[in-house]
Amino acid sequence: MAKVAREMVERAGVNVDELLELLVKNAAAELTTYYYYTILRANLIGLEGETIKEIAEVARIEDRNHFEALVPRIYELGGRLPEDMVEFHNLSACRPARLPEDPREVMAILKVLVEAERCAVRGYTQICNMTAGKDHRTYDLALSILHEEIEHESWFSEFLGEGPSGHFMRRGEPSPFVSKFLK
Amino acid sequence: MREFSLEELARFDGRDGRPAYIAYGGRVYDVTESFLWQSGRHQALHTAGRDLTAALDKAPHGPELLERFPVVGTLKGE
Repeated sequence: MAKVAREMVERAGVNVDELLELLVKNAAAELTTYYYYTILRANLIGLEGETIKEIAEVARIEDRNHFEALVPRIYELGGRLPEDMVEFHNLSACRPARLPEDPREVMAILKVLVEAERCAVRGYTQICNMTAGKDHRTYDLALSILHEEIEHESWFSEFLGEGPSGHFMRRGEPSPFVSKFLK
Repeated sequence: MREFSLEELARFDGRDGRPAYIAYGGRVYDVTESFLWQSGRHQALHTAGRDLTAALDKAPHGPELLERFPVVGTLKGE
């Protein structure tokens, strides 16, 4: 635990216990989504499935990276992860994603994915709003994750044909925004 | 449709197996079955049994997300 770091955040007016609960809940959401993407990968087959496999894999790795990046900040602020994995799953900030009834129905898969990413965008926006100008390190982390979650939402939204595309697939290594927290 | 006072609404706080109701814009919604309202708490910041009209203005989502929940009544005085 970083005692002074926590004290600075408290003195800036942030309710650190509430913030920690949100960080743990969002870490749980990242890990459950990572798990979902892992199951999903095995089902992304055929012409339609293979089309989105690469982009889903990038989102999978990035969601795992978000979990990895969140955990140190939770402990710095004096928080901890639950010892029980089931408890951790059940307190997720987003309803854990499940494969659709027909796991080869790619449009249904995409709808699950876009809803998961939208929940994440809402969650990190909330954390950014709570910490802006008060808890600079958590804000920087949450904003970095938010950048990547917004891109994930856009990718899947565009696959669903919800609107014109403003994106092309990224080049380079995953997590261009969050990687600085993983070194 | 049932009318709730704030005191009556407060009894539906989602704790100890009680239903979780919240009010928004004069309508009372049943969020008991929502994964995101377990034990009457939502995202560490909100509790059931209250009028969340003002709180929703600051939330990272709009009232459209409430449309998926059943309306069980109205709030008195609204």
